[in-house]
Amino acid sequence: MTAGTPQTTPPDGPLDLTQRQVPCGIDVDNLLEQVAEGRAAERDEHQTHCPHCQAALIELADVWAPVRQLAEQPVTTPTGILAAVMRHIDRLTHDMWYTLRQADAGAIKVAARVIAIIARQAALRVPGVRIAFGRSTATARAAEADTRQHRHPHAAAGVMGGTAVVDLALTVTHGQSIDHLARQVQRRVIADLRDTLDLQHVTVNITVDDVLPPPTGDREERRGRGSSSTRRRT
Amino acid sequence: MDTVDDAYLVRRARDGFLDAYEELVARHAARAYRVALRMLGNHHDAEDVTQEALIAAWQALPAFRSDAAFSTWLYRIVTTRSLNRINRTRTAFPLDAQPEPAARNGGPPEQVERSAAADAVARAITTLPGPQRVALVLYQFEDLSYADIAEVTGTSVPAVRSHLHRARRTLASLLQDWR
Repeated sequence: MTAGTPQTTPPDGPLDLTQRQVPCGIDVDNLLEQVAEGRAAERDEHQTHCPHCQAALIELADVWAPVRQLAEQPVTTPTGILAAVMRHIDRLTHDMWYTLRQADAGAIKVAARVIAIIARQAALRVPGVRIAFGRSTATARAAEADTRQHRHPHAAAGVMGGTAVVDLALTVTHGQSIDHLARQVQRRVIADLRDTLDLQHVTVNITVDDVLPPPTGDREERRGRGSSSTRRRT
Repeated sequence: MDTVDDAYLVRRARDGFLDAYEELVARHAARAYRVALRMLGNHHDAEDVTQEALIAAWQALPAFRSDAAFSTWLYRIVTTRSLNRINRTRTAFPLDAQPEPAARNGGPPEQVERSAAADAVARAITTLPGPQRVALVLYQFEDLSYADIAEVTGTSVPAVRSHLHRARRTLASLLQDWR
């Protein structure tokens, strides 16, 4: 509705929020939207001269202030969420374990995901490896079955004795021998799994699926590849 | 380690790289929890719903459209599960659904007053009907645009705008009475 000529009579009493419009004909919803968007002080030509709109904007800004305060309050995320979610997903992937040893004192078992984590960390320590994700083949197969994906029909399950099969997906720095780098990664992963878990037979499958320019210390490059998943108002 | 975008992590997670999904969870758990908290009004339910949503998202990864943003998809799962929780709670405990007040640290009277006002807002939000609540939380607390909210809720921009108008008016009336 088009606003009429601004009335000069000042409003009497609090704003009546049961009414659709203020006395000058402007929608309360539009004024409230203006306030909620933080534009209460940005008045148009009509609002500059209209005492009703001015009074309504002042009152609505005051009423709405606690909402803005709540929005500004930081929310602390419980620290256990990440671990709880990943524990549950581990269970969904059938709790894959490597039985390393069956000793008199009892069995020694390691979760398949631990193998993948050790492999990933080992890969990241090799110069030139920029991004790494790891999986044990056994976990991958369980995950794929659970999510009804069958992307690796030829992958071998490695849940047995001292044998492990690990897949690594790498992003590496451009301008070096990928073959040489991949072999370095294989050696490092095999050594780490042998040293930490005494796994004697380790197969490390490597997929290099992206390259990045050499780091320059300029963080612009990183920002360019970073997530921008939160969409802001346009 | 360099950062990668969500789409890459989703692809890797689908291939069974659980650490890629762990990275997604680390990246998005805070916003999922924030939305759940504003939707439900209490920390206990918000934590439950956040965990459920992140697990459900992992299980549903094959159905995720790669042209959509993971955050949008997760918002949809969190808000839907929050609404389901609200409906269940209403049925089971119609008189007990009182939100927890926000933690207070004392401080000067104005600060306590501001905190009480923020508590009043948090409580008032939990009285809004579901669609209004979703629109208000995503717009006011997550800074999503009308178009983004329409994508999350599977509705239209005019519908989102209408829900927001009604939510704001209801909330403003409650806050006007509260003052």
